[in-house]
Amino acid sequence: MASSSLLAKLPNTKEPMLTIARRKQLLKVFVTAVMIIYSVFTLFPFYALLVRSFVSTKDSTELHLWIPKADEVSMDAEVGNLAVFYDLDLRDMKEALGIPQSEFIMARTSLREVSEQFDIPEEKIKDFFAGFYTYNGWNTLLTGDLYGTSFWGALGRTLLVTVISLAFLTVLSIFTGYGLAGLRRRDQMAVYNIYLLQMVIPAMLILLPQYQVLQWIMGLFPNYDVKGFTRWGLQLLAIILINVKGTALSTMIFTSAIGAIPKDLEDSALIDGATRLQYIRHVLLPLLKVPIISLIVIQMPLIYNQFLEPYVYLDPANSTLLPFTQSAVGQFSTNYQVIYSAIFASIIPLAVLYLIFRRFFVEGVMAGAVKG
Amino acid sequence: MQAAPATSPGDEIPRKPARKKLSKLERTRILQDWAFILPQLTIFVVLTIVPFFVAIPILFTDMSQFNDPQINPVGFRNFTAIFTDPSVQRDYFPALRRTLVFVALNYATVYIFGLSLALMMYEVGFRGGFFTVVYLPLMISGLATGYMAVMLFSRETGTANLLLMELGVIKKGFDIYSPEGTAFILPLLVGWRYAGFNMAIFLSGLMAIPEETIEAAIVDGASYWQRLTRVYFPQMWPSFILATTMCLIGSFAVFDELVAMGALYVNPEAKLLSILFFTYGFQVERLALGMTLAVETFLPLVFIGVALQRLQRRLQY
Repeated sequence: MASSSLLAKLPNTKEPMLTIARRKQLLKVFVTAVMIIYSVFTLFPFYALLVRSFVSTKDSTELHLWIPKADEVSMDAEVGNLAVFYDLDLRDMKEALGIPQSEFIMARTSLREVSEQFDIPEEKIKDFFAGFYTYNGWNTLLTGDLYGTSFWGALGRTLLVTVISLAFLTVLSIFTGYGLAGLRRRDQMAVYNIYLLQMVIPAMLILLPQYQVLQWIMGLFPNYDVKGFTRWGLQLLAIILINVKGTALSTMIFTSAIGAIPKDLEDSALIDGATRLQYIRHVLLPLLKVPIISLIVIQMPLIYNQFLEPYVYLDPANSTLLPFTQSAVGQFSTNYQVIYSAIFASIIPLAVLYLIFRRFFVEGVMAGAVKG
Repeated sequence: MQAAPATSPGDEIPRKPARKKLSKLERTRILQDWAFILPQLTIFVVLTIVPFFVAIPILFTDMSQFNDPQINPVGFRNFTAIFTDPSVQRDYFPALRRTLVFVALNYATVYIFGLSLALMMYEVGFRGGFFTVVYLPLMISGLATGYMAVMLFSRETGTANLLLMELGVIKKGFDIYSPEGTAFILPLLVGWRYAGFNMAIFLSGLMAIPEETIEAAIVDGASYWQRLTRVYFPQMWPSFILATTMCLIGSFAVFDELVAMGALYVNPEAKLLSILFFTYGFQVERLALGMTLAVETFLPLVFIGVALQRLQRRLQY
């Protein structure tokens, strides 16, 4: 706004050509400054989250702008407190220190008392607790088990669902776009309009009845009520079905892209004896690179970051990344370090993919935005 | 008997001329088209359209949960509950107020972040690097956005709070769990997340403007503000409408961010309408009531959305 009022005054000066050049220069400086400030504003939360995943809860009331060097564990720390607030695994500790698992350690026992009671040198205990506060979050997250699944299991399921969903969504959307291409007939227009509805129906509105429909469908399969492979497979399938059902965007992208391809191409392929499937595979597919990339880069974050549906449909032991994170919050409610580690860990895979393929993302998003 | 078949097709020709014209080739083509359309359409209809019809009979019952053994019809009681039932009113109206505040503030961020960034980018030319940075928050989940809000703006431990206090900008930290904190911080973070998305919408709208109109305005000595209001905005209507539709539907359905801010358990200030419907359906055994409230709230939105879509399409072509 400051620049616009500034610019409004400038045309009154005497040399118009020069002022236009100077105006442009001023504008560039101003815009670059704003862009840098906004970039910092955008990136700061990510950086802060990374730092906070290394800051133990007891130090979190101080400002940390880089990964801190945490104190050593005090020998007066009580085992019970470490277990409650830092999710210290007592089995691991006993094993590392050579204490038999059958020995019971009282919650109020301090580490010094442990050292005296079991005749363990203090150095050994300090070694075991080296970096305990700093890496507590990541350690707990990456090695722990939660309601029957680990972080790695949840990550694997997320990747599985994302890859399968994207593959089927792309293929089905191309079919739909091909069937609707040109929108010449009344029935094609009707189908197109049904898909457009998706954009204006909030997920919340149909969540409850959709849950009922899917429960009914999945209930038709035997073994759905039994915990096990079939049940978990069906649950993941439900999520995948929700993801591949097609969106307003997917339909718009492919209908207009395929509609823009000359009809002669199809006619000549069909005259040469190709079936319509072969035409899609060998002629259409290579021509649809841009819309396919567009669809994938727009849908991938949505599917990977899906929370509501997996949270509702999946058993805790079968959960994907975000419901897992959310149940970690319930479990470690006093240990914010673990929560921030989990959040940061859930961001990493997609963020890395995004930074590697940023060119495709930028081009795909801009191409998709043009379609609306 | 012999005359009848000879006359009946003759009668039909003037009545249904369109049907008669379809050759066998065209009919196969339509059938094949449908074979391509049907796989995805079946899934779409079963998961998006059928639920509407499944929901209708439930709205008139007292179904309390998904495997409710005893379901009694109650007529229109669910529909009138927001006017008559104090317990529903106590839940619904504060949630509605918070939702409306959130929608308004979130809509403001569409322009504060999205539009101004797009205009800037348009003036200096497309910058891929800056676009990459602004679009990065879209790669993270709503859940992560909510936890980032907690991490930045918790009263005692928020990094942004501590930093701003260190710099002397504020004396007392913001509190994410206070009414004002939730009301302002949530839209800020959601706006931050969608900035790249909205920027892409507006930028593509700007890029579609014919260059000649802008050059003509510059040659005629129009100031930047005049160019903005007389040249850019009138030609960007489809972008405005698209951004409005997406923001409206998206912010009424905001859920993940709220869960992260503790809406399901500890933070009543983050209880917006979507959380209310979710709790009614899955936690407090008021399923039919929750569905009815959802329909009453969202169905008008669907109609507004459809109207906006039509408007957008009419302006585009």
